[in-house]
Amino acid sequence: MFQKLQDRFDFSIFIAVMLLIGIGLIAIYSSTYNHPTAKGNFDKQVYWALFSMISFFFFYFLPHKSFRYLSVYFYAFSLLLLVSVILFGKVVSGSKSWVSLGPVGFQPSEFAKIGLIFFLAYWLSYKRRNINNLKDVGVALLIGLVPVALILMQPDLGTAIVFALITFVMIFWAGLNLFAFFVVVSPAVVVFVSLFGVSALIITLILIILALFFFKRDLFTSITIFVINLASALVFNYLVKYLKPHQQKRIETFVNPSADPLGAGYNALQAKVAIGSGGLFGKGFMQGSQTQLRFIPEQWTDFIFCVIGEEFGFWGSIVTLSLFFIIFLRIINILPSVKDEYSRLVLVGILTLLFVHFGINIGMNLGITPVIGLPLPFISYGGSSLIVNMSLMGVLMNIYKNRRLYT
Amino acid sequence: MPEQSFHNVDRRKIIFSVILIFFAVSVFQLFKMQILEQVTYVEKSSENSVRKITLKPPRGIFFDRNFQILVSNKPSYSLQIIPANYNYSITPMLEKVLGVEPGFIEKELKKRAGYSRYLPRRIKRGIDFNIVAWIEENKSFLPGVEYVVEMQRDYSFGVNGAHIFGYTREINREQLKKYKGIYSLGDYIGIKGIEKTYEDYLRGEKGYRLVIVNSQQKIIGSFENGRKDKLPRKGYDLVLSIDWQTQRKAEQLFKNKTGSLVALNPKNGEILAFISAPQYSLSKFSSVTSKKFVKSLINDPSKPLFNRATSAIYPPGSTIKMLVGLIGLESGVINRYSTVNCKGGYQYGNRFFKCHGVHGVTNIEKAIEQSCNTFFYKLILDIGLDRYANVFKQFGFGEKTGVDLSEESRGIVPDSKYYNKIYGEHKWSRGNLLSLGIGQGELSVTTLQLAQYIALIANNGKTVQPHVVRGYLTPDTQELIPFEFKDVSVNIKQENLNIIKRGMYKVVNGNGTATNIKLPDIKIAGKTGTSQNPHGKDHALFVAFAPYENPQIVVAVMVENVGFGSSHAAPIAQKIIQTYLKSQKENLINESLTLR
Repeated sequence: MFQKLQDRFDFSIFIAVMLLIGIGLIAIYSSTYNHPTAKGNFDKQVYWALFSMISFFFFYFLPHKSFRYLSVYFYAFSLLLLVSVILFGKVVSGSKSWVSLGPVGFQPSEFAKIGLIFFLAYWLSYKRRNINNLKDVGVALLIGLVPVALILMQPDLGTAIVFALITFVMIFWAGLNLFAFFVVVSPAVVVFVSLFGVSALIITLILIILALFFFKRDLFTSITIFVINLASALVFNYLVKYLKPHQQKRIETFVNPSADPLGAGYNALQAKVAIGSGGLFGKGFMQGSQTQLRFIPEQWTDFIFCVIGEEFGFWGSIVTLSLFFIIFLRIINILPSVKDEYSRLVLVGILTLLFVHFGINIGMNLGITPVIGLPLPFISYGGSSLIVNMSLMGVLMNIYKNRRLYT
Repeated sequence: MPEQSFHNVDRRKIIFSVILIFFAVSVFQLFKMQILEQVTYVEKSSENSVRKITLKPPRGIFFDRNFQILVSNKPSYSLQIIPANYNYSITPMLEKVLGVEPGFIEKELKKRAGYSRYLPRRIKRGIDFNIVAWIEENKSFLPGVEYVVEMQRDYSFGVNGAHIFGYTREINREQLKKYKGIYSLGDYIGIKGIEKTYEDYLRGEKGYRLVIVNSQQKIIGSFENGRKDKLPRKGYDLVLSIDWQTQRKAEQLFKNKTGSLVALNPKNGEILAFISAPQYSLSKFSSVTSKKFVKSLINDPSKPLFNRATSAIYPPGSTIKMLVGLIGLESGVINRYSTVNCKGGYQYGNRFFKCHGVHGVTNIEKAIEQSCNTFFYKLILDIGLDRYANVFKQFGFGEKTGVDLSEESRGIVPDSKYYNKIYGEHKWSRGNLLSLGIGQGELSVTTLQLAQYIALIANNGKTVQPHVVRGYLTPDTQELIPFEFKDVSVNIKQENLNIIKRGMYKVVNGNGTATNIKLPDIKIAGKTGTSQNPHGKDHALFVAFAPYENPQIVVAVMVENVGFGSSHAAPIAQKIIQTYLKSQKENLINESLTLR
């Protein structure tokens, strides 16, 4: 009986997700219980969790083929939403990323994640495209970069990074050869590294030259690629000056978090203090001084992991990380058994989405990546993100159920 | 298809590797932060949220010998700034409210630059209650600005006693380094007087209160319910030997005079009144010790900061004739019947040393009574320099008495070594001795030394090192724990002392030089003196003890630039003796009443 059910429903992923939502509720409770304005967030999140279960099962029971058919409409609707949010959205902490639907506000960029993953999978799997053809790669990149551009206009750097990475990884998965992948990705890496100053940039450029030797292409191609890399770094650093001050500061803070301990680097520093002071077993539920005394603003959103680190210690942190690891591992394990190319691409998209959120969020909490505002999936407070994530988990489970089918 | 699947398997591994690497890095980072560096982060997190509020103990206060308050404490408000939290843009407004000149706050903060930015800096003491209320109301606009209640000295008890009590001052950098762990920035430390000598007793022990603050530095509550708090221990209260009434009288008598006075009990060395005039006002020191005020004291030509009773040295004049006489009697150079015929002076070589009268046939008793110089000119020549110097040193001259006040001079007792040094060997003669015989010349003493010497005579060769503090009170039982002081004694025959004392008695009660202060009810024994002053009018001196049969008090008075001792110094001594003996009687009656 259970065997049969397990064949149609992956319990390890489901239980891990449920545990993560549970941990999230505990952490939200602890960080908002004594807070004057965020006191109701726990109750709200409980409702969101219940509501997200509905959307999970909705997508789980949706006919398998419908995703593919819906892809284009989802994507088109996503773009429409992203344009409208720029036109009519309300400004929350410096960026327009919310639209209101009656009493509830939601973030179109969250919904657009589904649209992007579905449509990119649809396009990449359509009639066996030759992904190594320049035109096909170009269109695939365009599909990803249009929403990226719209999101950057909000502006929301974190989500734009997520979209860009989903696009890259899905194209990569679609079979882009390593050289082409290198050509596509290396400018992005160079741009990122250039934030850390000239010496880091030079080291990276040297590595790129070594890689170019490794690929053994002709001299003209190699030089062209190198020039493109260099140019993108320079253009990016020029464009940084046109970023909003708070974004410039975030970049600056990432590069040197202790430069301004009471300003922009404050959160990053306090987060590390919270986690580090948790020790092996933590300070106990509702006992974390950093959390309870509100040293980290809006801790229930992007810095929720500190609550776990501080109040449940190394032990609690490892449990949380392990649950994520189980989910990622299961998705990777499921992949080869999925017969359908479209579905595989969707799974890779979902995996990338979860992992990028997870990686950047945990990374910034631990001080190993920049402070880029991204929620921790299933744990951070927030309705849109939880519903979208649970919907995608429903899609994932649906694909698992129908893994032996071709569409 | 096989190529495709090969590709996918390969890429799966790449994706898996990326996830695995990130995992390994995160777990390592977690391990490093939460296990290896936990202590550092815990420290930082408690620095964040637990604040130690130092509780400063009040300084011990001063009682007089009859447990009347001399100096106490009163609360006052001080404004502090914690630079780490302070918003410098509010400085102009704050300066306006405090009523200080622009730039004052910055200057005060600069003074203490280099200490931790989280330590509060005292900006102004003794601020108005209105300002306190203003700070309390506008707390949210005044980050890093706070007020604290501090104790400051209260000098409103009728005596000033500047040179006894001394004062405290904010501790400086060198002292902070020296007494690490005991004091912290902004603490006060005794600088002069008994505030300095008894600093260890007076300062008490600091306590602290641990409180939890939130990210806005607002106090949320106590830390661990105050279990780790420590209450401060108040400084020990000191009981002085000073008699309030006598001290007050002495201060009145020295109004508009320059000079010094020491009154002590010859039996135990307890100082009953102590004056160095002019004084400075201690109450001006207690609240706002402005630099200007201190500078004005330092530059004052009458040197009010200088302790004349212990540090000014001068020739003692005729007041030391008793000691010269004692040396003569003890060494057998003279006896009580030995006489000299005074014809108004003494011829030594080709120089005539004058006496201030013609005393005729004079023995030792009469020589003291009438202060006959001729007698002592001859006597000192017979005694010789080194015997003289030896006994003078035994009586405490040329040495510090070790009084429990912070500064003291040794004075000078010349001996042959000293003369060889200043005149050169064999370049001086016995003629130099003549002025030593009448207390002039190089001999220099302090008023305190004079008082101790008279105490040795009055109490028959025994006394105790002079001191102003008797002991401290235990905080719980208020029991007086006395401090130990050295015994001082000289080996002199009683019969010789009696001869000398008899002479002193006659100075006041016979045909002596101070009959003007004779009292019907109190038998005072004394000796006048005039200290020659090359810069102006002579200094008047008087030493005395009373009552003659059972001495309770010794007084040494020196009034600068007024002339003869009998007319200026003696009446002061008389009134001090009267006041003290009366006060003592009253207190005895009071005590017996309370006992009953």
